[in-house]
Amino acid sequence: MNELAGPPPAARAPWSVMIVDDDPFIRKLIATTLADVAGFALHEASDGGQALALAARVSPALVFLDVDMPGPNGIETCRGLRELEPMRQATIVMLTAGAEREPEALQAGADLFLTKPFSPLELLRLVDGLHAEDTRA
Amino acid sequence: MSKLAPVEIERLQEQVAQLTARLAEREQAMREQERQLERYAADLRETYKLEREHALELRGSYMATVRALSNAVEARDAYTGKHAERVAAYGLELGRATGSSLAVDPQIEFGFLLHDIGKVAVPDAILFKPNPLSPLERDLMERHPLIGWEILREVDFLGVAKLVVRSHHERWDGTGYPDRLAGDGIPYAARVFAVADTLDALTTTRPYRVALPFEQARAIIREGAGSQFDPSVIEAFNQISDRELADIRESIA
Repeated sequence: MNELAGPPPAARAPWSVMIVDDDPFIRKLIATTLADVAGFALHEASDGGQALALAARVSPALVFLDVDMPGPNGIETCRGLRELEPMRQATIVMLTAGAEREPEALQAGADLFLTKPFSPLELLRLVDGLHAEDTRA
Repeated sequence: MSKLAPVEIERLQEQVAQLTARLAEREQAMREQERQLERYAADLRETYKLEREHALELRGSYMATVRALSNAVEARDAYTGKHAERVAAYGLELGRATGSSLAVDPQIEFGFLLHDIGKVAVPDAILFKPNPLSPLERDLMERHPLIGWEILREVDFLGVAKLVVRSHHERWDGTGYPDRLAGDGIPYAARVFAVADTLDALTTTRPYRVALPFEQARAIIREGAGSQFDPSVIEAFNQISDRELADIRESIA
């Protein structure tokens, strides 16, 4: 993984994606699906605490966040991420098992939802579209 | 605590060994399945990239073809110069200002670029006549939107672009041509285009008139709100500054 050693606060970090899931296989699968698709960095975190620390360091433009995790769950992690200054504008995609937790997740600051098992093509289109939009401006 | 007989222990040990072996086998199978899934994901990604590349290439070819056609029309008229490109740029800016999805639809830009393609069928003597046209000449001139539409009719990828070509001389009050459409009956892209087209016509030197400054052109266009132009498009037009318009013009000159 491409880890940045604390960029100066003024410099904008390169466009990157953070994957947060306690299941290493899901992380691997998402990372494999997205690797090299449009020249951005991928970062992985296996729990909420790690996610917050990593986000503070690399300020990802896009976060995939599993809703069900031991320790702080996805909802709590989402709230925490939104409290980080550079994460206000980021797009947070919550990975859920169904629609029942969506209202709660929306309140916590999630922008979009992908239901597991998610469509990898949908994942690709989403990331590619956001990346193109952000890097054009 | 009852003591197990040695044979009993041996049997249990054997069972544990068997279970451990089966578990290891299962784990091995699962790892293989995971690897296979990852392979699927990687292949899907590569296919997606290839597909995206092809789509971009195709779009580039469409764009080049449309530009070539548009240049063919422009080449005839030294006066209009890069009229089609400027109008397309003004039109897209106007589309953005209206907040509609016009500016991101590539077909719309195609329509803007090709709006006057029907003029290939208008004789030079009419197209370049410095004096007012006779009724017959005017009639011929006013056929160009319909001729353009006929020329492009079979070109599927142009989609709504063809509507811009056909309807770019319609007027909001229904007195335009060729279909005398009015108000919302005029395709939206054509209503946006009409403003951009007039803007460029007024701010470019023609055989019969020198170029007006943007400020003056803007005043004339505003007067046409509700008669020639869709008032909502004029509202959007008012949000674009003269500076922005000048920047667009300079970027194309």
